[in-house]
Amino acid sequence: MWTNEEQAYYKALLALKGRDYKKAGKYFLIAENHFAENPDFRILKDVTELLLDVKERISREESEKIEIEEIINYGQEADIR
Amino acid sequence: LSRLTTLKNLEHILENFLSRAVETEEPLMENMKMMGSLDEIARESLKGRFINNRLGDWFGRYRAVLESPRVGEKEMTHIANLLTTIKSGLDGSIPESAKLAREIDQWHGKGMIPKRKLVLKIRSPEETENLTEKFLNLSRKELEYLGSGEFGSMHLLSVLDDVLKSAEAKEDRMYLHMAASMIYFLKSNGYKVGPFVKRLKDIENHKLQVNVD
Repeated sequence: MWTNEEQAYYKALLALKGRDYKKAGKYFLIAENHFAENPDFRILKDVTELLLDVKERISREESEKIEIEEIINYGQEADIR
Repeated sequence: LSRLTTLKNLEHILENFLSRAVETEEPLMENMKMMGSLDEIARESLKGRFINNRLGDWFGRYRAVLESPRVGEKEMTHIANLLTTIKSGLDGSIPESAKLAREIDQWHGKGMIPKRKLVLKIRSPEETENLTEKFLNLSRKELEYLGSGEFGSMHLLSVLDDVLKSAEAKEDRMYLHMAASMIYFLKSNGYKVGPFVKRLKDIENHKLQVNVD
């Protein structure tokens, strides 16, 4: 029978195809034990995790940039909240 | 380059890589989808549900894929095992089911589905199985069935319901034995089992009737 891990790998690939990287990351974790020795699986999982990390950093950088823009309003320094 | 620009470039590169990698995995995904849907049909069949239409659709959709070299031996073995499971639940008295069973036989006959896991061992006449061995083999088979992972999170009453459905739909007497021992276990744990006993008796009587006919 099709194991939960095999189903998860399939769903992870579908999620990648739909560019839902968070979902893909979750499914890769479920499938991990079964496919630990599979190099294709490892690359896809690791790159997805790296991409999620990069996205997280971008989001942090952007929120910091917005904060700076808010602080310096019309060339005038405002109070730091 | 600012830190943000560098990160965005990297994000773009990784997204492109994943898109291309998934494109190359398309055949694998198609195989997985094919096996997943057949697996679902096999599970439904084990529960005694009517699967003829879905199985017919499955053959219609994947016949060409099965004949292509892109399905590996491992996948073929998996498919062969699932088809064997499904075939054991098909009711030969229904023309459509008989046709599907013939189709499964044709696949085996063509040798398109090699190396089935199921090995039929022909015993020599002097090597007969005694009653204890028979019982042990039956218990082992039941344990394998129940340990397949499908029932892990279910209440025993739901498992019993599924087993009774299989007993009704299949020839294999293992399901009757399994249902009877579950009923005994539930009864000795204080559960009311009257309706299940009645179902089991009805199924047994029906099977006896069919054998007499």
